[in-house]
Formats: sequence, C-alpha cells, structure tokens
Amino acid sequence: MKIFKLFKEDTWVRPFLGKYRKSLVLALVLGFFTFFCGGALMFNSGYLISRSASHPENILLVYVPIVLTRAFGIGRPVFRYLERLTSHNWVLKLTSELRLKLYQVIEKDAVFFKSKYQTGDILGLLSEDIAHLQNLYLQTVFPTVIAWSLYFFIILGLGYFSVWFALVMLLLLGILVFVFPLTAVVANGARQERQKFLRNKLYAELTDNVLGVSDWIFSQRGSAYNQLHAPAQNELQQVKQAIRNNDHKRDFLVQLLFGVLTVVLVCWTSAAFPGNHGGAANWIAAFVLSVFPLIDAFAPLGAAAQETNVYQDSLVRLNSLPTEKLVEKPAVPALSAPFQLKISHVAFHYEDSQNLVLNELDLTIQNGEHIAILGRSGSGKSTLARLLRGDLRPTNGRVTLNGVATADFGDKICRYVGVLHQAPYLFNTTISNNLRMGDEDATEAEMWTVLERVGLKKLVAQLPQGLETIVDEAGLRFSGGERHRLALARILLQDVPLIILDEPTVSLDPVTEQGLIETFMKQLKGKTIIWITHHLQGLSLMDKVVFIEDGCLEMSGTPQELARTNQHYQKLLAVDHGVLH
Amino acid sequence: MIDKQLLSLPGIKKILGILTGLAFVQGLAIVGQAYFLAKTIVGLWNGGKLGTQTGWIILFLLCFGLRHFMVYGRDKLLDAFAAKQAAWLRKRLLGKIFRVGPQIVQTNGTGNVTTMALEGMDQVENYFHLILAKVIGLMVVPWLILLAVWYFDWKSGAFLLAIFPLIIVFMVVLGYAAQAKADRQYKTYQMLANHFVDSLRGIDTLKFFGLSKRYARSIFKTSERFRKATINTLKIAILSTFALDFFTTLSIAVVAVLLGLRLLNGQISLFPALTVLILSPEYFLPIRDFSGDYHATLDGKNALSALQKILTITEPQIKQISIEQWQPTSRLELKEANFAYEKGQPALAAISLDTVGYQKVGIIGLSGSGKSTLINVLSGFLQPQKGQVSFGGHQTNSFAQREWQKQLLYLPQNPYIFKATLRENIAFYNPEATPTQIGQALKVVGLSQLVAQLPEGLETVIGEGARELSGGQSQRIALARIFLDQTRKVLLFDEPTAHLDIETEIELKERMLPLMEDHLVFFATHRLHWMQQMDQIIVMEDGKVAEMGTLADLQRKNGAFVRLSRSLRRI
Repeated sequence: MKIFKLFKEDTWVRPFLGKYRKSLVLALVLGFFTFFCGGALMFNSGYLISRSASHPENILLVYVPIVLTRAFGIGRPVFRYLERLTSHNWVLKLTSELRLKLYQVIEKDAVFFKSKYQTGDILGLLSEDIAHLQNLYLQTVFPTVIAWSLYFFIILGLGYFSVWFALVMLLLLGILVFVFPLTAVVANGARQERQKFLRNKLYAELTDNVLGVSDWIFSQRGSAYNQLHAPAQNELQQVKQAIRNNDHKRDFLVQLLFGVLTVVLVCWTSAAFPGNHGGAANWIAAFVLSVFPLIDAFAPLGAAAQETNVYQDSLVRLNSLPTEKLVEKPAVPALSAPFQLKISHVAFHYEDSQNLVLNELDLTIQNGEHIAILGRSGSGKSTLARLLRGDLRPTNGRVTLNGVATADFGDKICRYVGVLHQAPYLFNTTISNNLRMGDEDATEAEMWTVLERVGLKKLVAQLPQGLETIVDEAGLRFSGGERHRLALARILLQDVPLIILDEPTVSLDPVTEQGLIETFMKQLKGKTIIWITHHLQGLSLMDKVVFIEDGCLEMSGTPQELARTNQHYQKLLAVDHGVLH
Repeated sequence: MIDKQLLSLPGIKKILGILTGLAFVQGLAIVGQAYFLAKTIVGLWNGGKLGTQTGWIILFLLCFGLRHFMVYGRDKLLDAFAAKQAAWLRKRLLGKIFRVGPQIVQTNGTGNVTTMALEGMDQVENYFHLILAKVIGLMVVPWLILLAVWYFDWKSGAFLLAIFPLIIVFMVVLGYAAQAKADRQYKTYQMLANHFVDSLRGIDTLKFFGLSKRYARSIFKTSERFRKATINTLKIAILSTFALDFFTTLSIAVVAVLLGLRLLNGQISLFPALTVLILSPEYFLPIRDFSGDYHATLDGKNALSALQKILTITEPQIKQISIEQWQPTSRLELKEANFAYEKGQPALAAISLDTVGYQKVGIIGLSGSGKSTLINVLSGFLQPQKGQVSFGGHQTNSFAQREWQKQLLYLPQNPYIFKATLRENIAFYNPEATPTQIGQALKVVGLSQLVAQLPEGLETVIGEGARELSGGQSQRIALARIFLDQTRKVLLFDEPTAHLDIETEIELKERMLPLMEDHLVFFATHRLHWMQQMDQIIVMEDGKVAEMGTLADLQRKNGAFVRLSRSLRRI
C-alpha cells in the first residue's frame, strides 16, 4: 500500500520519533490505561453485583471489588485527561522540530523558493502539511497503537484462562484490528483520491470564475457557469456518498461483530465458569459486561486508517523537498571602500531552459554612482539584480565586487548590498522588531532618526503604542507608500554601501511614487544605487541610464545626454510627459 | 438547543418526525438488549445450561442488531437530507454571486467566497447531519432508558435523573471558564500560530538582511512558546470533557456499588440489578455524543451563519428600461450622482455627465480621486445613492440595466484571464466566433506572433497555474475580445496601462486607438498622453468633477488640469 511505502522512505517524521521517546511512550501507556479502566470498571461491577447477589457471609469479601470499582471509575477520566495532554504535548514538540526542519530546508534556497513554485501559496501549503501530520498522529497513529496494545493484552489475558479461547478471540478481534482498517483503506482509497481530484478541480474552477465574475455578468452568461459547475459537483457528491455509505456499512458490521463477540463470551464463560447461584459463575457477568467499553477503542480504527489516505499528499510534498546540502563557501576577505561592482562578459540562463536571459553584458558601477537599469518586463533586469547580489552565479563571465565574485560571499553579501523590493515584506511583529532587522543593536533614538529620515516619524509617533505597535499581518495596516518607507528605514539602519532598488515603486500612484523617489535619492546619497525600473519617472535624478533589451545592453549614457541625442529615448520621454501622439 | 436557522429548512418537520421515530425504536432496542442479556447471564448464574438460554441470546442479538440498524438507517436518511439541503443552498449561493457579482466578492474576498461555496458547504452539510442526530438522540433515548431503569429499580433511576443536570451545569461552567481563558489569550495565541507562516513568507527578506540562518532558532523558540501556551489553554479547555467523563463513569461506579450493597442486604435481586447496570452507560451515551464533534459542529454553525449573511443581502431594486443599441445619435445623461462606500465619506459627489454618440471621454485624476468608482457606477456594479440616469430621455436610477450591460466591454488594469484555452478566452463574449474572425482579431491586437510560437497555438491553456501571460499580453487578449464583439459599442477602460512598462504601453496604444473608433469610450487613467485622443476630458479631484472640457479648453483655462499635469511630472 502506498502509505506504507511512503513511511518507509520518509525522512520527515520517522527521525523525530526517537527524540521524545519518553513522552511518546507515556502518552501511549496513558491511552492504554484509559481503556483498561473503562473495561475494568464494567468487569468489576459485573463481578461485584454477582458476588453480592450470592449473599456472602462476610461483607469484607466484596470490599475489594467495591474499592476497585470506585478506583476504575475515577481512573478512566483521569487517565484520559492526562493522555490527551501528553499526546498533544508530544505532537506539538514534534511540530516544533518539523517547523525548524522545514524552515531550514527552505532557507537554503530562500530567494528563489517562491518563484520556483509558482502555483498558489506553496508556503502556506507546506505549513499546513505540518499541521496535517499533527492530526495524523492524534487521530490515526495513537488510537491505532493503543488499540493494538489492548488487543495484545486481551489475548494474553485470555490465554491465561484458555489457550483455545484466546486463539478464537485472536481471530475475532483480529478482524476488528486488521481486516476492517485495511479494507477501509483499500475500499475508499480510490474514492478519496477521486474526491480530492474533484474538489481541487472545483476549487480551481470556481476561484477562476469568481475572479472573472464581472466578465460573466457583462457577457450575461452567468447561468452558463452554473451549468458548467454542476456536473463536477454532482460527481463529487456521488463519490462522497459512496465513501459515506461504505463508512456506515462498516460501522454497522463492526457493531454486529461486537454483538457476536458478546455471545461468544457468554458461551465460553458459561463453560469455563460453571456455578449455581454464584461461585465461579460470578465471573460470567464480569467478562461479558467488559466487552461494551472496548467498542470505543476498536470501532474507530477503520475511519482512522482511512484518514491516512488524506495525509498522503502532505507526506509526499514534504518528502519531495530538496535535501541537498549546500557547499560551504570559501572565506572572503573583508572589503573596504571604495566599492566597485564589475560585470564582465556575463551571460546567464536558468537551469531549466537554454534561453539566454542575459548575454555578453559588460558594465562597471563605480563607488557612489547612481545608475538606472531600464527595460521592459522580461528583459532580464531582475535576473541582473540577483546576479549582482550573488544569489545567482553567471553561466559565463564574472560579477565581482572589488575583485571578489559576488556569488562567493554567501550571507556575508548583506554587509555590502541591501535590496528594496516591489512588495517589501513586513513581519507581523512590532515596528521596532521590523526595523531592528537592519541592525539588531539599533537604539530607540536611532530608530526614530531613520523614521524621521523616511518621513514616518509623525505617523508612528501618533500610534498609541509608538514603535511597539504591531504591524498587521503582511503589513496591511500601512499603505503601499508607507510600507516602502518602513522598508527603506530598515535599509538605512543596515547601512550598506550598495543598494539595489528592484522596481520598488511599480504599484504606486505617480504622486506617491515621486515623493518616494525623492526620499530614496536624498537619504541614500553617497551610496551606490542600482535602480531597476520600467518607466521614466525620476530618471533625471540618476547619473547614468542603461537600457537592457533581450538580455543585451542597448544604450547607455547620462539622462541628459540620452535626452539630447537618442531618438528612442526622446520618444519615450515625450510619451511619459504626455506630449506626443 | 436546536439552531433556529435549521428550523427554517424545507422539509425539516418531516425529517424530525422520522428521526424521532427511529430514535424511539433505538431506545426500545437498547432496553431490550440489556433485558435479554441480563436474562441470559442471570440464567447461567442460576446454574442454567447454555442450551436453555438460546432464546434469550437470540433475542439479545436481534435487539442489538435492531439498535444499530436504526443508527444505520438514521445516517443514511440524514446523508440524503443534508446533501439535498446543501445542494439547494449552494445553488442559491452561486446564483447570488453570479447575479449580484463583484460587490459580494469584494466585500468577502475571493478566497472566502470560494471556500464558502465548497469547504463551507461541506461543513454545513456535516453540521446538518451531526446536529440533527445528536439533538434527537439526546431528546429521546436517555428518557426511555431512564423509564426502564425506574421500572426495575426506582432508586437507581432517581440517582441517574439527579446526576444529569449536575453534569450539564459542570460542563457549561467549565466550558465558559475555558472560553474565557482562550479569549484572553487569543491575540498572543494567534500571533504565535501565524508566526511560522509569516516567517516563511518573509524568508527572502530575512536572507537579504543576512538573518535567515540565525532566525531558525527563533522559529524553534516561538514554536515551543506556542506549544506551552497551547497546553496551558488545553488544560482548561478539556476540563469540560473531563467533567463529563468523570461524572458519567463515576455515576456508573456509584450505581454498581449501591446495587452491590443492596444485593448484599437482599433488598434487590440480581436480574433487575444487572439490567440497571447494563443500562446505565447507555443512559449517558447520548450526552457524550452530544458534546463530541465540538469543532465540526461549531465550524458548521459558523459556516451556515456566514452563508445566510450572503444569501440575505438585498439585491437593489432597479427599474429596468429599454435602451436602444448605441449609435451616433444616442444620448446618455447622469445628473448629480452621489456614491459613498461608507456613510459620511462620499467617494463621488454630485457627478453630472452628458454624452452623445461615439465620444471618447477621458477621466483623469490621482489615485483616490474617484475615477474607478465612476467607472464602476457607469458599468452598473455600483448603484449611485442619489442622482438620475437617463438614456435618450428614459429615466432610471442606476446603470445596472441588462440592455446597457449587454453593450459594454470593460477593460480593467488587469483584465481577467480565465484558465482556459487562448481561443476560449478571446471568444469569451462571443463564443460563436469563427476561426477567421479570431485570426483577424489576433492580427489586429498583435498576438499572431505569440500564437505562432505556442506549441498548441490557439488551443494552449493559459491563465493561473497554466501558461501565464505578461500584463501586456493580457491586455491584448482583452482588446481582442473588443474586436470580436462589434455589437458592444460602449468601452470602459480603468487604468489599462498603469502597470505596464512604457514601451509596451506605446505599442498597445497603437493597437487600441483604432479599436476605439465608432465607440463610446470612457477612459480612466492618470497617464496624460492619452488625453490627446479624447474628445472630452473630466478632471476628478476628491470625488468631484474639478473641470470638464476638451484638451484645448483645459489647457487654456490653466486650472485643475494644468495643476494636475504639473504634479504628475515634477521630476
């Protein structure tokens, strides 16, 4: 079965099982005793009243069963309570480990992870996968292991009385413990697969069409969608119903089997414990009544086993994450100003295609130079930015900072190069924590200074909790322009000599954009600025403009020169100013 | 106990009736099962041979089977009922979404709407099933059992009856205590819970600051803090289950001990005592079922409420008038229209427009000046709260007119590309377009080259998750839709080129201008160069019309338009 194969090759869950062995065993033992007490309570009670009914001469003879009855009555809820706490605690410990592992795996490839997995919110999905593994343990693994240990105990216990009867029960309970769960997995596996497929299909389809709802309304074909949606929905409903029918049938059969078990026990005890008005016959009620509490332990096994089908995807996804170890980077000497970035004969293509994104690029960026790299989307601008920071290594040629290849710096590159993105990410923590990412030792005064420099001092000062205000998730409390300013403040604290601005203003309206560009240029004075952009706003403030077209350097010069001599640039400028056409 | 929303479902009375009947039979079977099992055991205890008990055993098995068969029947019945209700609700929800449209999607978020229609509906379906089974079970079964216990031994019956309210009180009190604690911790709890996803999403930023390796420690530490907080909350949260568990098992133990003591004194005989003992766990079973599946029930209930909220949104009453096919003599007037998303904050104030025939109307202004709102009012997605709309003299109160929307084509900043083939996308408004027409459209908008490069040509699937297109290519597809549907003579543009690079913008403009001929065009933008081609320009400021006129007029006036142009090209 697929799930067993998955487990065998799993590198995500199994390694951690040994780590917190004690609490794992404790949780399982507590779970065992929960059911043990449940069964023992009825066993004892049955014996107690049978024994009492035979009017023993001495009340002390039933004293022990009376005490035990109370003990088991209290024991069951207490064990259950403790079992739930211990098992949750164990699972959450495992979660901490898994999260750490997932983080470390993704961290290796952080800059490209998102662009590599383009469809949907892969990061959210992976973090949910870990939550799924939690459930796999709580709802499938624990109950199953506990039921197995009960099974083992019961057979062993009955073996004490009669080997033959123990064998009969081995078979009968074996049906509950093995046959039902296995058939549930097999019978519903394909259906669950189909259900998942249909659900994903419907989900994608519906999202697609809800996003395009205005086109449906304008085209006045809204009802056509309902017809489109219906067949898959109906099929899903049928599959779901088939799964449920199977579940109900199984539940019914499990219960019937318990009825049979009860009768079998009656038959066995009547032979094994013969008596008249008591004596050995007192044990009959004890054995027979203890069957019913066991239903709770064995009946859910089928459903639990079937759940594994649901978690398979999570296991597959986690296990298919890259595991290769990164090679240690050679140590790089500490560099000092002036800094010169040199791009010589650089060509680049991504691994999965032979198309050259950049070709024969030569460019030298001097210390303190403000350079704009202009080009249409897809011209290779962003790839160039990644090469400059050393996140990518050129296929041919070299990108060097003071003679050292930027790709050799590893994490140390952040001492020299800062990046400001199109959508700067603000963490859902306090403003000060976000700022301190730039410099962990920044004092409060320093933070206020940078906030003032980026023009946010007034805004932050007005917030009731000031610097300790929580930035709402993904920074949604702040407007687009404000988020860029916060990100800039972070970079100012980082205090690096080179700054890459990767289309930082693309989603802003022109007036906000202008304000922001002016702040950038004023506050980053003296640093080298590499500004990647696709339109002309603010270019006149730069020392040099470079055009990239199809991965090649198309033209370059100061903005003034280009405006005077280059026809293409003149045309663009005219459109931007709204004069031409 | 039973949710009011449930009682309004069609056919609910009938199903409740049948369920009650099934539960009644189930209760009787439970009593019978206990009775016959006790008979068997007591028979054996009295020294009877197994053979003499066969009748009782068979009766026991029959009752046992009947009881579970009732459960089986109940589940099948509820499956069918819940599925039918869910299908009915889903159909109404989808109908509403595709009729009322963007407002619902905007206020609730796309993700929420789709989740509601799929996962939410599953939860609702599950909820119907669970809650009906639970409630009817609790209302019928324990009381039948109690009657039987009372009959066999009224003292045990009295004890069981007395303990019932006690259990409920404890559960409720502890439940509230747990809720209060959870509420107090909610904020930190949420933050700790989201911390991990938040860190994953910001991992490239961490990398840029060289913090990503060290941050791993923080991940582990926060996760451990989360674990401790969760366990602390859990300690209280599962107390109410503990109380239920504790009282029920202890009650069974007490019943057993009391029965034992009275048996010793000969106040009761074995048979009734055994029957009562077998019945007492069954007495508590329904209440345990009732408190189980707590989360599934809660989720279902919340999903149902959210759904009802959308279904009960009132659809605006709009007088539909007949509107002729737009032609050079057609006239459209908007008088003193107001619109506010929130009370007291007008997004549009006293807007008036008057256009005749194939005019090109430019709407220019900064972000937040009301351009998009105006376009949305013109498209009929937003209803002006005040003001008059008239088409060739016929008056109404909104643009949400079937005969008007039939003539519209709308180009937003990011035209939506369905996950479908290129052909289906292009022919979305005109599914019957011939290959020749489509080929022509491709040529006009400059997509022929792209299509030639695609391995499957027009049949290539595009859109989210398939082959993604650039912003410029999406706009071209939207333009092709315009070209293909020549019957739609009114074009609404909402910042169609704002996010494109300047060279793509120029290329697109060359393709767009010819398509605008012989159309009524409303073109909202902040890019000045488009104004050269407009017959009329509306300058928007703070939701009002600041200026209106031809480009030459506005340049001469040296007012709002000139001011705006200056602020747009300061650097």
